[in-house]
Amino acid sequence: MSELRQIAFYGKGGIGKSTTSQNTLAAMAHYFGKKILIVGCDPKADSTRLILHEKAQCTIMQLASEVGTVEDLELEDVCKPGAAEFHPDDTTITEGYIMCTESGGPEPGVGCAGRGVITAINFLEEEGAYDEELDFVSYDVLGDVVCGGFAMPIREGKAQEIYIVMSGEMMAMYAANNISKGILKYANTGGVRLAGLICNARMTDREYDLAKHLAEQIGTQLIHFVPRSNHVQRAELRRMTVVEFADKSDQAYEYRELARKIIANDLKVIPKPLEMDDLEALLMEFGLEEEVEADAIGKKATA
Amino acid sequence: MFICGYHFPASMGNKISHEQVVDKVTSEAGDLSDVSYAVLISENRDGVKQEDLRVEKGSFLFTALADYYKKSDIEGEYKMIYYTNKYQMSEVSKAVDGGVTAAVCKKLDDMLLYRVKVA
Repeated sequence: MSELRQIAFYGKGGIGKSTTSQNTLAAMAHYFGKKILIVGCDPKADSTRLILHEKAQCTIMQLASEVGTVEDLELEDVCKPGAAEFHPDDTTITEGYIMCTESGGPEPGVGCAGRGVITAINFLEEEGAYDEELDFVSYDVLGDVVCGGFAMPIREGKAQEIYIVMSGEMMAMYAANNISKGILKYANTGGVRLAGLICNARMTDREYDLAKHLAEQIGTQLIHFVPRSNHVQRAELRRMTVVEFADKSDQAYEYRELARKIIANDLKVIPKPLEMDDLEALLMEFGLEEEVEADAIGKKATA
Repeated sequence: MFICGYHFPASMGNKISHEQVVDKVTSEAGDLSDVSYAVLISENRDGVKQEDLRVEKGSFLFTALADYYKKSDIEGEYKMIYYTNKYQMSEVSKAVDGGVTAAVCKKLDDMLLYRVKVA
């Protein structure tokens, strides 16, 4: 049996992180027979819906508040097997399977989401969810890293290899660089490493070049460029991954290729985040920001 | 690091030279004397075919496409090329093929899906 790998998908909110992670993990199970546990760490609790064919899974924090404390929960209450081919008992398509859990978070405006994440992870470990049979544990984390809470999987030494989902848009690049800063902070104490950028493409001009350039500057690789496809949306309407919906489609093959690379990936680095000036220079070089004369800054438009 | 589908070990870092890529792809492709042509077709997002492109035999791009086609298990006469691969092939080809593939590479750098057939 291979050693358990704990990976995480980070990225700006709304970048397509959960879609990318679920499709990639589905490909790892479907095509490569990998056994996976997903730990959703986003208060939206949408990290497992395509694997479960559900709207949103009941979260650990939600269930704990219903029964009193997290100690009153059983593993089966919070950790559900994937639907259809991702169920451990269904081996018709693959020996692989996916177990799903969502940490959940506090009510909006109340408490700390990070505490929910770490409570959930500790509970799962204590209850034996990190089964010896598993090949991968995958954390799906809202990664703007604006508060320490969302860095919990990194801070506590859980997730060891981080994949940043980004696109060729300014805020996505900014978030990717920021997440790298978060990784750098805990790289020496917890052993976490950046394993690559995944470009979930918006299909803008020179997007590949821009993403590749950012990856090189940060010291990592652009591991895969995932093109935009209507197939993904069609599958999502049925609450499915495109891998399950149409496993011989072009888009499913893109996820298969990304899955293959993640399984084989050994390039795990301590990132070198860019200074803000360098990031802005990069954005200007690729036309995402326009350079203005120094004396024009702060001036109103002339009539 | 992964370029043109091949794994370059972490010890080589995150900047692999074009020469290293050419060496790897050429040696993995093996004997291509039985391959006489490589044709690319482009498609828009609705799957509508846009145009055919012939690739110059003897170029790195030709070798990379022939190697990709031979190793791919994707079904069909024309096999889709992963976007990552088409951009990487184009980047290396522009640097090492001395301009003979420049027009094709310019096309490959766009946002269309490409499929390849070699025979």
